[in-house]
Amino acid sequence: MRRGWFLPIAAALGFSFLYAPIVSLVIFSFNESSLVTVWSGFSTKWYGALFSDPQLLGAAWLSLQIAALSASIALVLGTLAAVALVRFRRFRGRTLFAGMVSAPLVMPDVITGLSLLLLFVAMEGFLGWPQGRGMLTIVIAHATFCTAYVCVVVQSRLSDFDRSLEEAAMDLGASPVRTFFDVTLPIIAPALVSGWLLGFTLSLDDLVIASFVSGPGSSTLPMVIFSKVRLGVSPDVNALATIIIGIVALGVLAATIVQLRSKPKNRQV
Amino acid sequence: MAKKPQLAIDTRPWRDTANNKPFVRIRNVSKKFGDIIAVDDVSLDIYKSELFCLLGGSGSGKSTLLRMLAGFENPTSGAIEIDGQDMTAVPPYDRPVNMMFQSYALFPHMSVEQNIAYGLKRDGLPRAEINARVEELLALVKLGDYGKRKPHQLSGGQRQRVALARALAKRPKLLLLDEPLGALDKKLREETQFELVKIQESLGVTFIVVTHDQEEAMTLATRIGVMNQGEIVMVGEPTDIYEFPNSRFVANFIGSANMVEGVVSEDEPDHIRIRSSELGCDIYVGHGVDCAPEQRLWWAIRPEKMVLSREKPAGLNGANVATGIVEEIAYLGDISVYQIALESGKRLRVSQTNSVRGNPDAITWEETVYVSWDEDAGSVLTS
Amino acid sequence: MTTARDPTIPPPRRLKPWNAVERGLARVGITGRMLVLIAPLLWLLVFFLVPLAVVFGISLTSKQFGRPPYTPLLTSEDGMVQLTLHLNNYIRLFTDNLYVAAYLSSIRIAAIATIITLLVGYPMAYAIARAPDRWRNILLMLVVLPFFTSFLLRVYALTGFMRGNGVINQFLGLFGVEPLVMMQTDFAVYVGIVYTYLPFMILPLYTTLVKLDVSLFEASADLGARPIHTFLFVTLPLSLPGIIAGSMLVFIPAIGEFVIPSLLGGPETLMIGRVLWDEFFSATNWPRASAVAVAMLVVVVVPIMLLQRAQGAVVEK
Repeated sequence: MRRGWFLPIAAALGFSFLYAPIVSLVIFSFNESSLVTVWSGFSTKWYGALFSDPQLLGAAWLSLQIAALSASIALVLGTLAAVALVRFRRFRGRTLFAGMVSAPLVMPDVITGLSLLLLFVAMEGFLGWPQGRGMLTIVIAHATFCTAYVCVVVQSRLSDFDRSLEEAAMDLGASPVRTFFDVTLPIIAPALVSGWLLGFTLSLDDLVIASFVSGPGSSTLPMVIFSKVRLGVSPDVNALATIIIGIVALGVLAATIVQLRSKPKNRQV
Repeated sequence: MAKKPQLAIDTRPWRDTANNKPFVRIRNVSKKFGDIIAVDDVSLDIYKSELFCLLGGSGSGKSTLLRMLAGFENPTSGAIEIDGQDMTAVPPYDRPVNMMFQSYALFPHMSVEQNIAYGLKRDGLPRAEINARVEELLALVKLGDYGKRKPHQLSGGQRQRVALARALAKRPKLLLLDEPLGALDKKLREETQFELVKIQESLGVTFIVVTHDQEEAMTLATRIGVMNQGEIVMVGEPTDIYEFPNSRFVANFIGSANMVEGVVSEDEPDHIRIRSSELGCDIYVGHGVDCAPEQRLWWAIRPEKMVLSREKPAGLNGANVATGIVEEIAYLGDISVYQIALESGKRLRVSQTNSVRGNPDAITWEETVYVSWDEDAGSVLTS
Repeated sequence: MTTARDPTIPPPRRLKPWNAVERGLARVGITGRMLVLIAPLLWLLVFFLVPLAVVFGISLTSKQFGRPPYTPLLTSEDGMVQLTLHLNNYIRLFTDNLYVAAYLSSIRIAAIATIITLLVGYPMAYAIARAPDRWRNILLMLVVLPFFTSFLLRVYALTGFMRGNGVINQFLGLFGVEPLVMMQTDFAVYVGIVYTYLPFMILPLYTTLVKLDVSLFEASADLGARPIHTFLFVTLPLSLPGIIAGSMLVFIPAIGEFVIPSLLGGPETLMIGRVLWDEFFSATNWPRASAVAVAMLVVVVVPIMLLQRAQGAVVEK
């Protein structure tokens, strides 16, 4: 293929655009002064400030718990939905089901948040549950929209899956359920892990929906960050951002390495 | 050591249908996918310990028929019986049938041993027995040291053997093989063909093999079922299929044949005579054929059944001798295939063994030659 | 020593308790299929579909003090059930300029931002698709990485970049250029949307482009087309499903964006997501917010259906 100059330059510009703000964040998190403008010296004091801020730490802990729970619930629901969509030919209400599963992907957060809050309020009125809003309602809300993402990931993996492996298992005497757990699941496991990570990230990152459905005492990390950031630049947020970016980068790097190493030349599944 | 099983190839039960019950009965089975008819009203009887080959091109329906036997497709109509039990509605995991898949379908996350043991585990056999059986099978397919390896660490031929071992592990009544040798290179294929037959004969298991390779079918099969467009066009032993094809399709599908069109000029109980302008001579067939005078039909003769000579041979009752010019010679080492152009424009393929080394007197290009054949050398085909 | 088992008798099939349950349920008409469907179906019905119905219902009530802060739909008095619908929210939507302007502005901003994202993302996706195999995974990882870092933090990073005394202006200052006002403008919102939604555009585009058969381009060149023509007449049309999918994945959520206009936009930047937020949190007018949401849904439904159709095409390809 002829190599022109246009593509590599365009790509390089694009990538710089993507990363420049992040890089500046990281750099200025080590800035002595609280300005994002002048570099006054290297300092890790913002990291210190970060760790002695109980509100921030509490919110971080809460967000992590919520993310883990939501991702796990979404994993189960999303996988079941993906199996239904890929494997079941036609069933009544399939279009509706497919629509419901994929709509959260594009539905504006404000609508999702508002609708769930109104539901919870109405349910509280009629059924007495859920009582007040807090971690439970946030988990339910996050699980709902994360399911859509998990489903997309698992669906794409399942539709590429070599059916003859399942047929071979059934031929050897395994019932369909047995086949799913013995053969299908282990092989699509990487997709399941991706889906879980995706759900985890999205939940951790969500601001709008959490704002709607949270209650007093259940502020998530994004909510706390948002209130700080609304007022202007906040250097301890820079520090937090750097930590998060660092963890994510390491995670993605690790995942890529694992993937590249475990992929032998002739993987045929 | 189990006593040697009685093999169909020795007893040939299909020649005596009154006293022999078929092991697999496929009765009027059809399969439709929407408007497409994949299998059209197929009926077939297969006997125990046969190595039966379903031979056909792509789209002939052979794979669909195999999948119905395995239980992965349900017939749209008709019934399938295995060993006297109706299997039509039984799911694949409940059938005494195992399949060797075209792609081998080895579980990539399990080792060779685990793959082979999988079916046995599903049956709930005790661990000691499973281990013993796995060892036995690994020895059978000559992969004794490879037990702990994973499929991606094996070569194509080795994977094929694992797939076979896995399919045999449960000692199925019926083993289905979907293009088992398709992915192997020629040399390996030939070796494996003989091994496959040996294994089948030593175990006495009934094999049904699906293939598009006619050489494979001829080598492996006790009987062949030729399929075309969802129907079975001929069933018979390899010699029958090759020497006595029942239609132009079968004659052309297996091996090569010279197909000649002609009109019946004499129709007697002990012989018929066919007038063929294509051939430029008459054809004398030394047996009666169910036809009528002036009927248009075809006559097929295999290249190796004709003789080339420079001098005009005597012929038979003024027939069975054609003449033409040698147009092409394909030298294949053991034989040479001559393409003879007749006056009518028709081309005949004649093959001769090169029995004389470096024959200086061999027939060569542009020579005028005579082509002759016996009264029973060709097949008369009415369809 | 293998026990000699007669190969003609199949081994007894051990009936596990699971089988009995399965058969029992089948008798009641509940097949395995339904069991798989039931959990996600019920969940989505209750937590996705019903809430939307609730939103619609509440949009037909009026603000009222108390808990909950809206008038009840159904009231029962003296054995009579009365359904009270207030249409004033919807009427206001159409008559009050604010809302109409906000909707139009949202669509406009989202559309422009989508186009910019397409222009920026297409060359990147193309470059990755054409890159040698080894590089591709790394490049994709680089595209996806920012997506995994917090969306909020990335927008926040942009503010640092674009402020009056931010990095860009500092840089321009070196050349003696006057500081540009970038924050609190529509421009900042465009940058924000492009910045955060770029991966959503690149990935579907990449998926479509990478599946294109290289020999098509070679055939086009062979037939005399210059690279630009090959691009316009072969590559572009064939990558259309990816373009549509990517554009919808940006356009639809962008319409209802809240964080970006809130942090980067000015008081003049009217976006409907922000209006909804303000109606709900600042004005505590839940019914009005619900009506805004319903109207937003209507606006968004058509692009969603377009997306479903394009996704079908992308999957096919």
